[in-house]
Amino acid sequence: MATTIERRTPMRADTTNNDGGAMKAKRRIRWDRVRSSIAAVVFCIIWFFPVYWMTITAFKPRNEVMTATPVFIPTHWSLQNFRTAMFQTQFLVNLMNSVIVTTISIVVSVMLAFLACAALTLYRFKGRRSIMVTILAIQMLPGTALLIPQFIVFNQFGLLNTYMGLILAYIASVLPFSIWNMRGFFLAIPVDIFESARVEGASEWQILRLITFPLVAPGIISTSVFAFIAAWNDYLTAFTFMKDQSKYTLPVWLASFSTPTGTDFGGQMAASVLFSLPVVIFFMIIQGNMVKGITEGAVK
Amino acid sequence: MNGTPSVETIEGELLTPSRPPRRRRKKARALRGDDGRIAAILFGPTGLILIALVAVPIGFLLFTSVTNFNQRSLFTGEFDLVGIKQYTTVLADKTFWFAMLRTVLFTAALVLGSVFIGMYVSQMMTRLNNGMRYLVTLVMIFAWAMPNVASSIVWKWLFQPGYGVVNWLLSRLVIFGDMVNTSWANNTTLALICIWLLVIWQAVPYIAITLYAATLAADESCLEAAQLDGAGRWRIYWQILVPMIQPNLLVVTLLSVIWDFNVFNQIWLVSQGGPAGSTSTIGVFTYTKAFVSFDIGQGSAISVITVVVLLLLTGVYIRNLLKSGEDL
Repeated sequence: MATTIERRTPMRADTTNNDGGAMKAKRRIRWDRVRSSIAAVVFCIIWFFPVYWMTITAFKPRNEVMTATPVFIPTHWSLQNFRTAMFQTQFLVNLMNSVIVTTISIVVSVMLAFLACAALTLYRFKGRRSIMVTILAIQMLPGTALLIPQFIVFNQFGLLNTYMGLILAYIASVLPFSIWNMRGFFLAIPVDIFESARVEGASEWQILRLITFPLVAPGIISTSVFAFIAAWNDYLTAFTFMKDQSKYTLPVWLASFSTPTGTDFGGQMAASVLFSLPVVIFFMIIQGNMVKGITEGAVK
Repeated sequence: MNGTPSVETIEGELLTPSRPPRRRRKKARALRGDDGRIAAILFGPTGLILIALVAVPIGFLLFTSVTNFNQRSLFTGEFDLVGIKQYTTVLADKTFWFAMLRTVLFTAALVLGSVFIGMYVSQMMTRLNNGMRYLVTLVMIFAWAMPNVASSIVWKWLFQPGYGVVNWLLSRLVIFGDMVNTSWANNTTLALICIWLLVIWQAVPYIAITLYAATLAADESCLEAAQLDGAGRWRIYWQILVPMIQPNLLVVTLLSVIWDFNVFNQIWLVSQGGPAGSTSTIGVFTYTKAFVSFDIGQGSAISVITVVVLLLLTGVYIRNLLKSGEDL
């Protein structure tokens, strides 16, 4: 008897151990989830706080912005700060500058990038690879490496403090990036489509206009959004090139924000909201898919 | 996000954040007679622009770095060739070496901080339910999307002496004493901490989301097998998952090195490189030399040195790209 028990005990111990292991694993997973959820809440609070604080400060009435004890949940809401930011500064003029410069540089860059990408992905020619590597390398240059010589050359041609100068500088930085961004969309087109179009007797120009263009349209849109963000956010170049306040773009306007009444944090936060809003909206639109992908990927 | 991203896809995602999964072309097309001509017409305008606005300026930068180009030269157009004098001056300048050392150390602190926090957050995301995961992603997208000029201005308000909410919160904690009137920008260590937090805040979302996507694509059966074998969570992560997502981790790290090395706006707007240049990294140092004291010759020399250092730091990345250059 004793021997049988002894013989069975290890086996039983084994099974209970396994059951216990499974239960333990289950409990561990649940415990993991609780612990991670707590960490996630803490993370969200910390990471969202700057955005929250910017927004509520912007909407606080003037006398509640600077208080000895911060007001975390405002009871009074006001658009005062937005009115100050929009109408007591150069906002409208600077907004127009930003819109003009950004639009022109994006349209030119994206158009050129489309043609360049077609050349680099659909045709084989000598030096193609080195062009791609060069375009990649350009993006790694530190800001000042292009800024200094461009400043001198543009100064020589009277392009400083003009839209033209800024637009050229933006094209120089946005174009290489746009080519890289669009390239993937071109590579995703099956080569056979072109072959059969050629067999049907389509000219290269027709192929580009009627086949390639519609197929890479999503790529053109996504590239435009990223190009928009890059040009819209640029501070360094605009700050260096544009000397008159009436020529500033919005980032320079925001960085040098001051109202007739001196330092005004409510106004500054309203200005930050005004400046960031288009970027955040565009970003949400293009990254919406990503978020969806992430949440759906989890279901599997 | 489904499918198995290869190194290349992830690389592509970094540079081209939203492109569709790439399909490798079956065969390289044979070089056709008119290919070169058509390509030349299509690439022509871009080529001219890149030559005029990038190649010529870079050549010009090399040229000004051996001249004494300064503020006067901007008006008169006169300057002298001084040979390698600018370089020897820069290399003998202690403030340059301090700025370089500071940049390397600060870059290391930023890269380590953002990559480790990003790794942690991506692991955290795998253990959350869908609702929580959506919330975390949404919050991160806000931080990611904020233009850095705006977030720098917000940071200054958060850390404002007198009324800054962070100062107030830290004072409540008592351990740091009364910090209500602490001026972060006027103290080297505090300014660096403040800027570090700012850059990390913006950098973590991208890293966390990329690594999370990589983790989802990793082979789950390996992880399960390891778990059944009784490996601890820590060990599973470092010895099994990390090697599996290593290509992505490498790319994220290298891109972080490039980005963090070139951080400018945040430092310029929060501390202006001060107090007394003690938080000025190489970017700020160059900018100040070239555009504040208008010693453009020397600024150019520093720029050239910076490009070389950056190339050395990212050489691995570029070389890998060249190796995988088949479908570049």
